[in-house]
Amino acid sequence: MREEIRKIQALMEGAHYVTDPAISTAVHLATTLQKPLLVEGHAGVGKTEIAKVLARVLGTNLIRLQCYEGLDTATALYEWNYPKQILRIRLEEREERSVAAKEADIFSEPFLLKRPLLQAITQDGQAPVLLVDEIDRADLEFESFLLEVLSDFQVTIPEIGTIAATHRPSVVLTSNRSRDLSDALRRRCLYLWIDYPSFEKEVRILRTKVPGVNERLANQIARVMQSLRRRQLLKVPGVAETLDWAAALAALHADHLDAELVRETLGCVLKEVDDVKRVEADLGAGRLSELLES
Amino acid sequence: MSTTPGADLLTRTVRFCRFLRARGLLVTAAESRDALRALEAVDLGDRAEVHLALRTVLASRPEEFPTFDAAFELFWGRPGRPGGPADGVAQEDGAPAGPLEAHFPRAKDAALDFAQWAERGDGEGEPVGLPGVSDLDALMEKDFSAFEAAELAEVERLAAQIARRLATRRSRRLRPSRRRGRVDLRRTVRLSLTRGEPVELARRERKIQKTKLVVLCDVSGSMDLYSRLLIQFLFALQNQLGRMETFVFSTRLQRITEELRGASYRSVLGRLGHVHEWSGGTKIGESLGAFALEWRHLLDRDTVVIVLSDGWDTGEPAVLSAALLAIRRRAGKVIWLNPLLGSPDYQPLTQGMVAALPHIDAFLPAHNLDSLRALVRHLKP
Repeated sequence: MREEIRKIQALMEGAHYVTDPAISTAVHLATTLQKPLLVEGHAGVGKTEIAKVLARVLGTNLIRLQCYEGLDTATALYEWNYPKQILRIRLEEREERSVAAKEADIFSEPFLLKRPLLQAITQDGQAPVLLVDEIDRADLEFESFLLEVLSDFQVTIPEIGTIAATHRPSVVLTSNRSRDLSDALRRRCLYLWIDYPSFEKEVRILRTKVPGVNERLANQIARVMQSLRRRQLLKVPGVAETLDWAAALAALHADHLDAELVRETLGCVLKEVDDVKRVEADLGAGRLSELLES
Repeated sequence: MSTTPGADLLTRTVRFCRFLRARGLLVTAAESRDALRALEAVDLGDRAEVHLALRTVLASRPEEFPTFDAAFELFWGRPGRPGGPADGVAQEDGAPAGPLEAHFPRAKDAALDFAQWAERGDGEGEPVGLPGVSDLDALMEKDFSAFEAAELAEVERLAAQIARRLATRRSRRLRPSRRRGRVDLRRTVRLSLTRGEPVELARRERKIQKTKLVVLCDVSGSMDLYSRLLIQFLFALQNQLGRMETFVFSTRLQRITEELRGASYRSVLGRLGHVHEWSGGTKIGESLGAFALEWRHLLDRDTVVIVLSDGWDTGEPAVLSAALLAIRRRAGKVIWLNPLLGSPDYQPLTQGMVAALPHIDAFLPAHNLDSLRALVRHLKP
């Protein structure tokens, strides 16, 4: 293994992010090749967390752009501060300056509201990490606009001119795959798919994130989660559910699982009544051991 | 045993990229360059790391991983065999070593194809289809493309009409707006309280609702009569709508969204030739179940799911009704289009249809263009 990858792995683990070779290799390549990293995976597997940890690892700040349907450039890139402009016009009403001079004044940087994308490329000092979260929620038009910014790293504002990036931010995009992203965007990015964690990784996540859980309980929780995910559930529990459940069990001072305890705390893991009923029926029939088989 | 990234590694990497491209991955000259840069950034003696690095650069969907992994193994040799990335491909033409062919039936064809690539030079033209597949292409064209030009234009018009309807439907609900719409006095006054002057006019406008479409089309033997028309329709629709996902199924489910995207119907048909199991048996329940399990992330309240099938299911009716229930729970609406419904004396009595009916919102015919036109009215989640 390359020394740099080992180092990234250690840094990420140090920042309490349980990683695996696929993740650390992808992060290493994204920083080395200076390409955006597109992270896809099911809900709650730690996609967003990668950007946060990356910022911590690089010792820089995180700028986040949360996407949603209807997101436009005024929210993502920049907007003029209209109230401030109008107030300035009022204050200068009596001043004998030309309209052009006044106009140049109010369409200058102090009146510009920088939104996340512009912030990310014009930040002073160290390059930040730019997180474009849930890009699949934004419209197709926004996707192509983002593509433009990500390829040129410059932005043109009619009144000011072209603002070039002072440096290239590290860009992380996440997607839940609610919509298929365009091939153009995919091609621009390195790709990382985060699947549900393996048994070993889930145990490590539990041990790292929930200190109140002993090794035996962590093993049992991970086993149950693994077998639940193999069932055809309406809503498959992610890592977030694992952690909620472990925290609940820790609060109950549990040191191992039994059928009664699982039934009482099942609501932490399963969020659809049909799923709960099915698993409860299994527990009632004394089949907890099946869930605990790896 | 690791070599310095010299000319040898360079040619092999470029060849590997072409190899992937011939297998349908989206790999161009830019990706080849990135692959080389990536190899410089990893430990070439570590096979797993090389594998992960190249996959990060060259694949862009989890669905591509199996293809990539198989291609990687085929091209760079298998783990445990002497070699690894430095000299995994022994022969000059890139053909994999003999015993591997047993594990990968297409190995020979691929090598052939590969030789053609080498002659053509870098980054030029379209990827050549695998020889084994082109026969199938011809079959497909014979089957589908006998469509008359007038008919084709009609289908396209219809798709455009549906697309317009889906794109511009405004809801009655108002949402705050920055520039357009009516002035929202209440918010303007509220805003001016904090700012002293009504310097900002708050506005609101009618919210545009965007409907997403998921189509699951039955292409089993019993649907043969209609498949031609339907695929044509789906092709036209797919190229009008950014937010549409298309799947076909007979005994198993396959996503064809990417295959359907393209300028010409002919090239699309060529790509569809790679889709397995046309005109096979039918397992509607299992196919829809697979969709509900693996593609559930596509479903939400703004999504209309359309199932195109005659309902002749050879599987268990209970499986079908469970699958439809799971889909309906998440989707805005489930529409079943049945070509047989066009015939006046048809009654939905097949086991599959009986199991499905309680779980669908609309049951409509789909035997000709007129019936597809009627569909427009139902496309609201």
